[in-house]
Amino acid sequence: MSGLMTSVPDSKPLLWLAGALLLALLTGCGPAEVVVKGDFPAPTMEKLPLTIGVWYDPGFANHEFFDEAKSRKDSSWLVKSGEAQVQMWDTLLAGMFARVVPMSGRPGPGQMNPAVDAVLVPEIAELQYAIPAHTNVKVYEIWIRYHLQLVTTGGDPIADWTMPAYGKTPTAFLQTDQAAVNLAAVMALRDAGANFATSFARVPAVQAWLQQRLGNEREASL
Amino acid sequence: MKLQHLAGALTLGAALCLASGCVTSTVDQMVFNEPSQGIGNSTVVILGRRHASDYDTEPDFVECVGDHIASGDNSIEVIGELEFVNDFYPWFEPRTAPLQLADFERMIARQPVVAEKMASLRTQYMIWIDGSTVRGDSSGSMTCAVGPGGGGCFGFGTWSNDANYEATIWDFTEHAEVGRISTTATGQSYMPAVVIPIPIIAPVQGTACDGIGDQLLQFLSSRY
Repeated sequence: MSGLMTSVPDSKPLLWLAGALLLALLTGCGPAEVVVKGDFPAPTMEKLPLTIGVWYDPGFANHEFFDEAKSRKDSSWLVKSGEAQVQMWDTLLAGMFARVVPMSGRPGPGQMNPAVDAVLVPEIAELQYAIPAHTNVKVYEIWIRYHLQLVTTGGDPIADWTMPAYGKTPTAFLQTDQAAVNLAAVMALRDAGANFATSFARVPAVQAWLQQRLGNEREASL
Repeated sequence: MKLQHLAGALTLGAALCLASGCVTSTVDQMVFNEPSQGIGNSTVVILGRRHASDYDTEPDFVECVGDHIASGDNSIEVIGELEFVNDFYPWFEPRTAPLQLADFERMIARQPVVAEKMASLRTQYMIWIDGSTVRGDSSGSMTCAVGPGGGGCFGFGTWSNDANYEATIWDFTEHAEVGRISTTATGQSYMPAVVIPIPIIAPVQGTACDGIGDQLLQFLSSRY
């Protein structure tokens, strides 16, 4: 018996390959995404003998920054900094105040919240970034402008101010753009923490409130 | 005969220079109150200045100087920069780092917890390094091509690097700035390419690190 044995080639590997190629192409078309991750040290400083509440608005806790590509050769960027923001502020406030209490809702009339001396509400007013493709300088930079509010549990304002933060990655040797932007964001968050820790008691409205709460002697030592 | 020796020395010098790039460096120092018996069981911390807008002192340069000191005299304990900066957050960030010893002393007077932590580390000397290595002029050209039979490059490139650093020593026992050491190094690197590019890199930053590290060792160590 003679015959020609033919076999139908298994199409599964080809399908997988085509799928992988399509995925790679689609990934290439999507925005460069950075989920900011880093370690933030606890501050070494005298704690203020106060119980501070903290409320992170969903827009802050899930903060994302999206920058659409201006031209076909640029890529869009999506920087997700919310998780890292909450991590940094939680660590910072725990090292600055005797007690930190997360609020269950935004302070305001009728909102049930634990009793605290004041509630801090941080918000991101603006975030900008620069990468070498934008500036032709081998530096990755992030600027953040915070809007900070210190309010009573009833929502009455105590202080309202803005605070800048800046971080840069001076060299990105052997790093991807994403890793360098992440490092710049971590540096900006550290800078935000340092700026807040060293300037909080110098904000005039905060200073007046601290003086009222803690008295002249204690406030003067801050 | 002397002419032959001179020619031999020149050839050897040129060969060494070509093998690793040429570097010229100078070191200046001005120190006071050198610890004649060494620093005993005290510790040293070396930090980089990062407050300028146009440059940062490279963390790897700071690490290199620390390693140079620790390997030159293993009795000297050098605290790592990142470890120290994290331990004393937020007081040594680019925005908050004290520029003068008086600023630092004012800060620890207001923050006893920082003073206690410093005392527990037994830190007697804080050394600030300020400077950077920058790439200077470059010239030459290189062409690379890839074809069905293979690829390769042809050409020649050369560039210079300039390193400029200054170390400032703060003595917490004397409550004073006790020294300044500066170093500059310049080097020319080459990249000839005949099929394969062969980089001949001048170790400019390494030379500056050795220069400043040697002077700091002379200051800190009783063995030098």
